[in-house]
Amino acid sequence: MSAVGLRMVNIQKSFPGIQALKGVDLEAYAGEALAVIGANGAGKSTLMNVLGGVLRPDSGEIYIHDEPAEIHSPLDAARYGIAFVHQEMAMLPTLTIAENMFISTFPTQAGLIDYRTTNEQSAQALARLGCDFPPGTRVSHLSPGDRQIVEIARGLLIHPKIIIFDEPTSSLTRREKARLFDVIAGLKTEGVTVIYITHFLDEVFSVCERAYVLRNGETVGGGMIKDLTYQGIVQMMIGAKEVTSYFGQKADQAGELALKVEGLTRSGVLQDIGFELHKGEVLGLWGLLGSGRTELLRAIIGLDPIDNGKIMVRDHGNLKPIQPKDAMNWIGMLTENRRDEGLLLPMSVKSNISLANLRGLVTNFWPLVNAGLETTLAEKFVNRLAIKTSGLNQPVATLSGGNQQKVVVGRWLERNPTIFFMDEPMRGLDVGAKAEIRTIITELAQSGTAVLVVSSEIEEIMSVSNRYLVMHRGRITGELPGTADKDELVAAAAGNR
Amino acid sequence: MIKKFNLQDFLMSYGFTIIFALVLIFFALGTENFLTINNILTVLANAAPWLVMATGLALVIMTGSIDISIGSILFLALALGNSLMLYRGLPVAIGIPLVFLIGALLGSLNGLLIVVVGINPLITTMGMMFALRGLALWLTSGLVQNIPPALQQFGRIGLFKEFIILTAAVILVLVHLLVTRTTFGRHVMAIGNNAEVAARLGVRVKRVRFLTYVMSGLMVCVGGTLQIMQISNVHPRLGQGYEFTAIAAAVVGGISLFGGEGSIIPGLVMGGLTLVIVENGLTHLGVSPYVYPFVRGGIIFLAMYADAMKSRVMARVHVTKDEELTTASA
Amino acid sequence: MSTAQKSDTHSIAEGGRRGRVITRDRILAILPIAILLVVLVILGISTPNFMTTRNIVNVLEQSSALALLAVGMTAVLVGGGIDLSLPANLALAGVVGALFMRGGGNPFVAALIMIASGTLVGAVNGYSVAYFRMIPFVVTLAVQFIAVGAATWLTESVSIANLPMSFVNTVQFRLSRMPVHVLMVAFLTLVFYVLFRYSFFGRWLYAVGINARAARISGVPAQRVIFGTYAFAGMTAGLAAVITVGRLMSASALMAGENAVLDVISSAVVGGVSIYGGVGNPLGAALGALLITLISNSMNMLRVSYYLTLVLKGVFIIVFIWLNSLRRK
Repeated sequence: MSAVGLRMVNIQKSFPGIQALKGVDLEAYAGEALAVIGANGAGKSTLMNVLGGVLRPDSGEIYIHDEPAEIHSPLDAARYGIAFVHQEMAMLPTLTIAENMFISTFPTQAGLIDYRTTNEQSAQALARLGCDFPPGTRVSHLSPGDRQIVEIARGLLIHPKIIIFDEPTSSLTRREKARLFDVIAGLKTEGVTVIYITHFLDEVFSVCERAYVLRNGETVGGGMIKDLTYQGIVQMMIGAKEVTSYFGQKADQAGELALKVEGLTRSGVLQDIGFELHKGEVLGLWGLLGSGRTELLRAIIGLDPIDNGKIMVRDHGNLKPIQPKDAMNWIGMLTENRRDEGLLLPMSVKSNISLANLRGLVTNFWPLVNAGLETTLAEKFVNRLAIKTSGLNQPVATLSGGNQQKVVVGRWLERNPTIFFMDEPMRGLDVGAKAEIRTIITELAQSGTAVLVVSSEIEEIMSVSNRYLVMHRGRITGELPGTADKDELVAAAAGNR
Repeated sequence: MIKKFNLQDFLMSYGFTIIFALVLIFFALGTENFLTINNILTVLANAAPWLVMATGLALVIMTGSIDISIGSILFLALALGNSLMLYRGLPVAIGIPLVFLIGALLGSLNGLLIVVVGINPLITTMGMMFALRGLALWLTSGLVQNIPPALQQFGRIGLFKEFIILTAAVILVLVHLLVTRTTFGRHVMAIGNNAEVAARLGVRVKRVRFLTYVMSGLMVCVGGTLQIMQISNVHPRLGQGYEFTAIAAAVVGGISLFGGEGSIIPGLVMGGLTLVIVENGLTHLGVSPYVYPFVRGGIIFLAMYADAMKSRVMARVHVTKDEELTTASA
Repeated sequence: MSTAQKSDTHSIAEGGRRGRVITRDRILAILPIAILLVVLVILGISTPNFMTTRNIVNVLEQSSALALLAVGMTAVLVGGGIDLSLPANLALAGVVGALFMRGGGNPFVAALIMIASGTLVGAVNGYSVAYFRMIPFVVTLAVQFIAVGAATWLTESVSIANLPMSFVNTVQFRLSRMPVHVLMVAFLTLVFYVLFRYSFFGRWLYAVGINARAARISGVPAQRVIFGTYAFAGMTAGLAAVITVGRLMSASALMAGENAVLDVISSAVVGGVSIYGGVGNPLGAALGALLITLISNSMNMLRVSYYLTLVLKGVFIIVFIWLNSLRRK
């Protein structure tokens, strides 16, 4: 029976306005890999940041090999033998592998760096992982998978007892993934406790012995992998609550074709995407994190480049092919991070709403925005969308999340787009705001707009969609009718296993 | 998978050497007297102080920051030191190191404002550029000062050019070693790559950045002293525009203004020499001196363009094309 | 209905929502102006002839070209960039126009040529920054070199004098003591103020300066906007060249003035324009130019060394930028 390498007891952590961890318990065994699974916002990162010393918990204890551990900083974590391989790799591209590994611990001789020793030790560390990269290679020449090996090698320098992998396979090729799994297997035989954070379930089943599922800051389930099923895990991830039926009937409302995409490919991210979107329907783009849904939307409207593909929109009765950079003439876009890419925070509600339509507000010869028209426009949407604000001039930064979201919606509505993309429109909103957005989406569809909604929350997407498209790893893997029930959706998201 | 020799990468890393070689060949072939020993020595002796002056600024640029006050730092330090040597009889042996010290102190003032207080580097050093120059002008009443006789005589010894070149070469090698073989130098590069990641990896970002500003002030005075021995006086326009020449040498030499890229040897050296050779060569070709600013501005422009292109290409995601991304098994 | 505040982590009021009158941000915003007013009062008291009409008109006359440049710089700064080439651009434009006149050209056309030259140089800046993604400060620096070099070359280091009197007189014409160019600059400043704040491209400009990504996603043609700011600044340099050449009655490469860049940026910063973008307006910048000129002028009258004035200006701008950066945090 292996020893308990790590035990976290009743870890709680809250931030202003939100309780990220509500008392999480976790046990990981030496020589085994523990999967920590959960959707975005479930608390995985917070938990790992506590373990890594980046955050201090409000309460709770940590035991490493049954010894209590006080981890107040990343340095402490390192001292306790905890190594962290982050998702965004901590690499310095123009420096060499060896330099990256020893950047703060260079062996020196008379003030100068002893490169021979540095390179030797790097080579040894890499060799432990079965790699023979020359230590003098610039990191910028390495693929993400190779960089990851270097990062792991760096982590292993401290001879860790515990090693945490945060979403390690997002940018790996198949070969590199296999190599990673070999490395993990090797670590396990050396008695290291491996913690594996991911949302790719197939990996969980091939790499880990145990799993814990987090949701909303709590452990909702877990156990030995051999006792779990895909469906079971996905169910735990997205919540087993019964979906209440406050969304209306979803008869397939297939109006005429508004958008048609064929063969959309972006190397490494999207593969041969093709689908149709009809007027008056709400198409739910469904899938787990990392399936490429956001990337798809961004590629279509030209925010990201594409390598191949055809996009056609209905314009004056005919389907015509368009360039992504012109897509915004027909497609409205609600991005998933309204604060970074949606809103101009210091500007007023009125200015934010009118931003996409300024040309239309110019009435006469002068290029001046007609203040009256602008106010009317803003008022129209404040009323129609029930945006709660103390006044049209209120800076948008001080609105609540739901109202902020409505401002962005209002901005696009004025342009009367035939197509509307919404990426996680209800994320971060409270129950009431979600309902309002939901209503807006349904009304939009009813008025003839073609709506495509991306969501990772099953209730959200079920509450608005007439039809579903399922994505997995950059591909469309299935299509489901609006009448599909939760289990079918769950199964589809899990990759139909 | 490590990439084998890649033409694009090679050009990006060594383009400036190629340019230098081309420029050299062009002028060597196109003019007489260009490759004579005398001319070569003159060119090198001319370039040497500039290269030394630019080494400190190069460090600042490598961290991704900027300093446009070095010309004024030099002027003030020299004005102060020179005044003390001339009018208060301070011996040269103390005066020269004092100049260096003042330079380092002024550099640390920059460091204080920029790194500790956190003010925008461009505008701060711009303000310093004017403030320090104004101070120096006020001190010297805008008049020309001679340098002490001892220094003047030193500048007339035989083999003076060789001395300058040798001293500069030694200094350049030392700074090069600093950048490539000390922890400090590696930290400078690390910060230029990504200050946040560097901090996460244990680099003391603020301290390193502060020191680069100190170096910037110090080295401009070291190089400036080498130059002043050739000019023999401290005049009101001393140092004017030096920062821009230094930046030009850095950029042309492959030191990216975005930080994290570049070298002293061969980079800064090649860059500086290219600029000097171009002007020297143009003189030999009998080209009107009015053309120099065009040429220099044009060279900087091209180098900047190349720099901008480089950073765009490097920013693209590295995905190897010979393997497909893992998909759900078929 | 709304329990909005609870689960929205970011909805907590940021700065002054509850209507507190004295907030940190307000103080920081007022501080620069307050400092200046204090300085001004001190100067006003200690300078003889400070409040005479003659002096005031004098200051206004000296500040008009600077005000124009400051307005141009405002556009660039609000968009998030910087332009170090404006004074050099002015010099080149002036030289080009003066040469044209010396060659017998029509003075009116010469003025147009100056404006065109300025705009062209500005367009080069704009294209490099917006489309080649080059760093603004170095691009404008290189252009500054080239412009000064060109001006020096064209004039062969000699100042061009003996300009047609019609040109000079038009520029120097006074409407009961107030020079026409001052009135024109004042008028233009107001026009630009209105355009910046109320036109659709003005809105675009502020949007790009605040958050270029969000602006782009909202359909704002960010690249065109940024290009436009530099071209606009170049145009103001051309206009300022007309005024400067007319006032000096000559044109030379030295019109660029080594310290001019400091004055232009100081004017903008003092006038409330943020170097980080998204904040500021032409009226503030023009008033800033007025203040800077006033201070220079008073220092002069007080017989303070020109050199010390430089020191003061240098320190000033560092202090102002510091206050600016405090506001951002």
